[in-house]
Amino acid sequence: MRRAFSETLFKLASENPRVAFITGDLGFQVFDQFEKAFPQRYINVGVAEAQMVYVAAGMASEGWSPIAYSIASFATARPFEQLRFCVAYPNLSVVLVGAGRGYTYGTSGVSHHAVDDLALMTALPNMRVVIPGDPGEIEQLLPQVMAAKGPAYFTVGRYGEPRYNAEEPAVLGKARLLRPGKSVAILTTGEMANESLKAYEILKSVGMTPLLYQFHTVKPLDTQTLDAISQRVAAIVVVEEHLPSGGLFSAIASWRATADTGVKLMRLGPPDRFALGAVQQQELRRRLGIDGASIAEFCKTLWRKL
Amino acid sequence: MANGRKQQRTWSIDELRLKSRQIRATCVQMAFDAKQGHLNGAMSCVDILVALYYGWLNVAPPLTDNSADPARDRFVFSKGHACKSLYAVLADRGFIPLQWLSGYAQNDSPLPMHPCKHALGILETSAGSLGHGLGMATGMGYALRLDNNPARCVALLSDGECNEGSTWEAAMFAAAHKMDSVLAIVDYNRVQSVGRTDSLTGGTSFEEKFRAFGWAARTVDGHDIAQILATLSEVPFERARPTAIIARTRAGAGVSFMEDQVLWHYRAPSQDDLDRALAELGARPIYTPGHA
Repeated sequence: MRRAFSETLFKLASENPRVAFITGDLGFQVFDQFEKAFPQRYINVGVAEAQMVYVAAGMASEGWSPIAYSIASFATARPFEQLRFCVAYPNLSVVLVGAGRGYTYGTSGVSHHAVDDLALMTALPNMRVVIPGDPGEIEQLLPQVMAAKGPAYFTVGRYGEPRYNAEEPAVLGKARLLRPGKSVAILTTGEMANESLKAYEILKSVGMTPLLYQFHTVKPLDTQTLDAISQRVAAIVVVEEHLPSGGLFSAIASWRATADTGVKLMRLGPPDRFALGAVQQQELRRRLGIDGASIAEFCKTLWRKL
Repeated sequence: MANGRKQQRTWSIDELRLKSRQIRATCVQMAFDAKQGHLNGAMSCVDILVALYYGWLNVAPPLTDNSADPARDRFVFSKGHACKSLYAVLADRGFIPLQWLSGYAQNDSPLPMHPCKHALGILETSAGSLGHGLGMATGMGYALRLDNNPARCVALLSDGECNEGSTWEAAMFAAAHKMDSVLAIVDYNRVQSVGRTDSLTGGTSFEEKFRAFGWAARTVDGHDIAQILATLSEVPFERARPTAIIARTRAGAGVSFMEDQVLWHYRAPSQDDLDRALAELGARPIYTPGHA
């Protein structure tokens, strides 16, 4: 995904001379081509996330299209007040990019885990929150996010995430149908799409075909599609690599609380605890019951009860 | 004027001193009308604002958010709580209607207690949360430089907001990028919200701190308009370095019973306070109170 990001960024900057890239001293060798081609538009502010946001906000207020980049945990939590006061409040077109959200940097420990980033960013008025799940969604959504007016939080995984096929293109603000199905809907965001697709294949092999949607845009939430999904299934399972508060489940639970539907709503995701122990992402997902096999097992049990 | 930039007209130092007294009288009247405090910081920066707006900044009314001149200097008023003096200067210079002043801090006023760009579009930024102004000015300055726009970026900071680490992140960036279009003015009135600046900073020098960060810095008497203007005329002090002016001021300046007291960060003046203050200043507010 990081390669897809740096290549899409380079393309956008080649097309638009007012695109600038601001990093909080991260992205070793990832943006070399950008820096070489556009030295003035590549700005390393140092380990200074507040200043990273100021430069982006100041440039946006002068009509530039800045992208500010850091590791997701540092990009969102450290300069939160700068984002609220200098970006969201004035509604400036700053794209904040968080690299390696969730437990991407699992072994680096709690400092590097970003499982509260959606809570922080969705809390801000005007802020779009866009969490792509594969390189294809980065390529499709980054230009849409850059073209939209106002601020956005956009995330980028690591390297090597598989590309997936979908039933429809990725459109900003609209949930994306990955697999058609019935009875149970698996709703996911970000890279959990890949775990959910693994679960889908397991379930399909035993004759169960859940509906699978990728909510790459967490805010604004596509309630229209949620309404439609709730007409067609008996149960919704939200799969997220985020704490229980303020993530995709939280947003969907808010919709469910006032929606005219009797659909059952369940969550698979980490509990409200710091993930201690410095554990690899895939192992953490297994332990937390959000890897493909665990998701499939949960859905099988659910399916049989329906 | 300075650097060959246009000003609509010029004022004598005596005229500017009178303006300062009138602006201060206006601040006290606004605080009285709205029953709001924050007079300390409003009064301490009046002479700085008068020097900037009447003698140095390349900004001229009429100026609205949708007809802003791209060549205008970007002035970031970072010490948002002190905005009574900014509003009064903007009104006196003809940027906003005088009578708006009587609605200061009232419901839905274009002049809230902390400046809001949504309410008053001619501002470069909103303010109210401290420590953001210098960073915003450096971001604007970086963009302007890429645009080959020589407009200057000026941030007026309180000494209190120099407690914020973000101010120093911005200071580092401006020096690293040799931003001599950036000017920081610190209103060094030595009184903060509940404490005193020098005790909170261990008595360290602002001028030395900015120098250590790679800036060119000087200290001036922040109530001597002639000295402020003379100093501004030499900005940037050095090529390829951002400029800091440390303006030594007095909190609540101009009214003897308010000066240098933490109390007047919060207190709203009584009728008696107002009468005594206006008598001491020997000036009237520039607007007619009660005619919003």
